[in-house]
Amino acid sequence: MTQQQALASAFPNAKPTRQVHYLTPEQLTAAKKESGIKFTDRMIVRYASATGFAYFDTHRVRTLPETVMVLVTPDGRIDRVEILSFDEPPEYLPKERWLEQFDGRKLDDDLSMKRKIRPLSGATLSARAITNASRKVLALHRVLQRANGGK
Amino acid sequence: MLKRITVTLLALAMTTSVFAQDVADIDRRLRAIEEAIAKLQPSNEVAELRRQIEVLSAEIESLKTRQTDTTAVADTEQFGLGAAASKVYRVDHGISFGGYGEMLYENFAGSNDAGARNATKDRFDMLRGVLYTGYKYNDRVLFNSEIEFEHGNTALGGEASVEFAYLDFLATKNVGVRTGLLLIPMGLVNEQHEPTTYLTARRSTVENAIIPTTWREMGAGVFGEHGPVSWRAYAVNSIRGDRFTAGGVRGGRQKGANAQIEDIALTGRLDYEPFDGTTIGGSFFSGNTGQGNAVNGSVVEGNLTIFDLHGEAQFRGATVRALWAQATLDDVTELNALQGLTGNRSIGEELGGWYVEAGYDVSSLLPRFGESALTPYLRYEQLDTQRSVPLGFTRNPASEQTIFTIGLQFRPVPQTVIKADYQNSDNEAGTGLDQWNIGVGYIF
Repeated sequence: MTQQQALASAFPNAKPTRQVHYLTPEQLTAAKKESGIKFTDRMIVRYASATGFAYFDTHRVRTLPETVMVLVTPDGRIDRVEILSFDEPPEYLPKERWLEQFDGRKLDDDLSMKRKIRPLSGATLSARAITNASRKVLALHRVLQRANGGK
Repeated sequence: MLKRITVTLLALAMTTSVFAQDVADIDRRLRAIEEAIAKLQPSNEVAELRRQIEVLSAEIESLKTRQTDTTAVADTEQFGLGAAASKVYRVDHGISFGGYGEMLYENFAGSNDAGARNATKDRFDMLRGVLYTGYKYNDRVLFNSEIEFEHGNTALGGEASVEFAYLDFLATKNVGVRTGLLLIPMGLVNEQHEPTTYLTARRSTVENAIIPTTWREMGAGVFGEHGPVSWRAYAVNSIRGDRFTAGGVRGGRQKGANAQIEDIALTGRLDYEPFDGTTIGGSFFSGNTGQGNAVNGSVVEGNLTIFDLHGEAQFRGATVRALWAQATLDDVTELNALQGLTGNRSIGEELGGWYVEAGYDVSSLLPRFGESALTPYLRYEQLDTQRSVPLGFTRNPASEQTIFTIGLQFRPVPQTVIKADYQNSDNEAGTGLDQWNIGVGYIF
């Protein structure tokens, strides 16, 4: 799935606005702290509309990368997670049903494989990769909304 | 009149002077404003700079999300996935590479349960070093393999093996055909045997003696999944009954090494995943094992059938796994005769066992523990490789074992694990030998 296709499925009614945000070192530190995930991204691109925000994240699963779209609602919860590309063997690919458990989750301690996120039989690393990406995106969203005067 | 003109000129001259001063002032102030405006409004250069930053950010974004021309657009459903999730496969997948390994330190008690001095020396083994390689030709055809080195050095008793090597042909969205050196789809460990997938330093003894993990044979079959149900069914070369022992069928595995295929076996598996992280299922292996060998002029059939039931559940740091397995073997008298086995060295006619293991990642109680995990665990297992033997032979009570394992594992990152445990082994002969182990495992 291309990014354009993913965006079209995420925002069927209105074309979202592409926003580029350049994090200050303080914002990056805050996002890392709040997510509990280590990353170095300073340039954050997101697609915003009245119905929500789309973020894209590319990360390594086992030895090969995957790209996911995380849709965030205006109140800062996950709307849904969509996998755009997945280079590991297909048996490690998370199923649609497994991805659905992220819907409606917010950034808290329960968004963890050790809490409410159920594991993926035989594909622990795939499950962890998506859980971590979700935490990262929600923390970035929080930081950016704070900079915009939001909560 | 003259006076009026003089007065007018005088007034004009004065006005002009004042006016000239005002114009200069206005001119100066206007210029200042213009300069200020010029500072406020972007020059062409600034506008161009902004445009370039936009272009660069778009380029960086597409690099980061890998929106390059190698990304494929699939529009059919695969593996029971919705159309959206099934669009993920890239056309040109190419080579995949991975691996795992484990090191094992075993420290044996000085004497066994009967008080006899133990002759087994403590050991430290580079148990397994494994490389996975695969190649995806396209969305429908892929190759996968595992090359394994065991015990460090082939000149000193180690082995180099192709653990599995198969080609998958995806026939439809849910069903594929697989052929090559296949992992027998039995039990919990045989197909998923990386050290991070089971709790203890050593694999379960039941999944060593009753299901002879890691068990692989040459063959072909089908596999697939439909929603929460997944299944596999293969026809493979059967194993060699002329190599079974009182300890089980393990020696009969042919491992794809010029495998005899006078007898063919069927093997299969069915798993049901009611919700994510919880699986229950069963599997079987059935076939003759005589491989054309004859006793007193008649060919030995030696039918072997193994069944297992298994379950696994993981949730909120807790892991529970359980397995029950049983094997029955026909024509044991003839199979014993092939090797000259007598007395209590007979192969078992019926063998079986079960185990339950559980662990709890205590770091799940601490929300800020990160990816590391600290998991105490327990396992209890019972097995007997000679539940019954044919008339004229005797059971060896040492074949009936109970093993209790208690230990702790630590994962600094999810792909590495350090395990330490104590194993209390008992057998009906009273000659069980306890040991403690340290295992180090990794996957990548």
